[in-house]
Amino acid sequence: MSQERKSHFVPRTPEGRAAIVAFVLLFLLAMPPVTHRVLDRPDTWVGGVPFFFAALFIVYSALIGVLVWAWWKRI
Amino acid sequence: MEPWVVATSLIFLYLLATIVLGVIANQRMTVDMEDFLLYGRRAGFVVLYLTVVATFHSAFAFLGSGGFFYTHGIGFWAAGTWTLLVGAITYVLGPRIWALGKANGYITPADMLADFYESEAVRVAVAIVSVVFTILYIQVQAQGLGYIINVASGDRISFELGTLILLVVAAAYLMAGGLRAVYWTDVIQGIWMYVAVWIGAMYLAYELFGGPLQLWAEVRAQRPDLLSLPGPEGFFTPGMWIGMTITLSFGIIFQPHMMIRYYTAVDAKTLKLLGATTPIYLMTLYVPAALVGLGGAVAMPGLDVPDRIFPELLFAHAPPILTGVILAGATAAAMSTLDSILHANMSVLTRDVYQRYLAPDREQSHYVWVGRGIVAALLVVGYFLSVRTFDFLVVLVTLSGSGALQLMPAILGVCFPTQRTLTRTGVLAGLVVGLGVLYVTLVVIPHPLGLHGGVWALLFNVVVAVGVSAVTDPPTQATRDRIHGEVERQIYPETLS
Repeated sequence: MSQERKSHFVPRTPEGRAAIVAFVLLFLLAMPPVTHRVLDRPDTWVGGVPFFFAALFIVYSALIGVLVWAWWKRI
Repeated sequence: MEPWVVATSLIFLYLLATIVLGVIANQRMTVDMEDFLLYGRRAGFVVLYLTVVATFHSAFAFLGSGGFFYTHGIGFWAAGTWTLLVGAITYVLGPRIWALGKANGYITPADMLADFYESEAVRVAVAIVSVVFTILYIQVQAQGLGYIINVASGDRISFELGTLILLVVAAAYLMAGGLRAVYWTDVIQGIWMYVAVWIGAMYLAYELFGGPLQLWAEVRAQRPDLLSLPGPEGFFTPGMWIGMTITLSFGIIFQPHMMIRYYTAVDAKTLKLLGATTPIYLMTLYVPAALVGLGGAVAMPGLDVPDRIFPELLFAHAPPILTGVILAGATAAAMSTLDSILHANMSVLTRDVYQRYLAPDREQSHYVWVGRGIVAALLVVGYFLSVRTFDFLVVLVTLSGSGALQLMPAILGVCFPTQRTLTRTGVLAGLVVGLGVLYVTLVVIPHPLGLHGGVWALLFNVVVAVGVSAVTDPPTQATRDRIHGEVERQIYPETLS
């Protein structure tokens, strides 16, 4: 018998929605225009490292954190 | 002892170790296609983790990324975005592909797509895309190996001979032990390449500049043009950033050698943990690459072939034993990808072409032997492709990724149930249009409006696939229920209980 299926592109649980929103928002911080307009500051340095490099490292680490959190919550 | 003797000896010692592993894997193997091609669907987390990261990171990560930082500057730190996407894609897509593979006995990506879309034309098209675009990738890895051994031996072993030796070794352990040999060697290769690139970069940073922070300060003082976007040659425009992010994540994941890995996991939980944690390895490997490339631009400017910056710096400034260990790590990076691509092509040609159309219903052992023969043939093809051209590594990788990227609508149509399903006519039309646009936007008019050609091709592909699917017949309801029902059971088991 045929079944009407809900779309799998839309998360169905609050935790699933939170993980998707957090990942997408953080990911946008690592994409243009943020990278080219906001993070591209060659004269700004953080602890001896270019701001651009340090900021993206933090964003990337936060994205890994979201994935690990999703795994931990069994999403 | 001469530095080149030490470096070359260590590389050959490493090659010997991979052969030994291939022989041991052969002794554990049963003469069965699932065992030979899919590791018996029993890969646990550690083995799967190291084979995925080692396969993803190739000669390109070890040589090309340093060369890219050297030429185009800090913009290559965009690499983090595609490594993160690879993790997310694996987390979301991996368990779906695994579940379908296990339930329906799929071995290749074409098995899954042809089954859902009920079309032999889809099978043939996917098999062709899989082979054509990954053969380019064989060329990239083989050329990387040629570079490494040529540099390690101080030009005493020619690029051509080095390429041949390493191709033969990779093919030999693959033929002996199948995917089990590939996975076992990838475990060594994954660890070795990570440790090697970090040790090499840190050694050079301290030796040449007094430490990583001093290295950054010197780059700021001498080459500030490398520390801003879009880089000295204007490469990292917003469109290129977005394009590389998409093509080097989705485009590589949809290549058969990566997708087949999803079939081999022992369970879906393993794949989710894999997705959550692979970016740790993949992303952090680009940190030492940045130190090598940017520091190299200051310490050794004007290299004709920027991809050679890492080995050139090692030979100039590191002790021979360290140089040898690190170049063996570079060899590992290239071989771990090469063996996986050889294996994937062997699987596609054996399963989707030979078994399907030329000789169905033979003994399992017959297909295993045919697969070995195909590896030998691929070795010959890969060798001749490798020695005929000599180009910038990352450009070839991007071209390869852009081709497999065109499978995206078809794969998502299988793995993500929606109200409106794509049809076989739709995905085939999208694929044909996508590949045509890819040729135009990569070769005829490269990257129109600053947007990567692979993304242009994908956009046209999606529009055509969706549009044609709206007016053509979808797969039968029974097939949709069987396949999408399996995905539903895997991802949302509570809704069916």
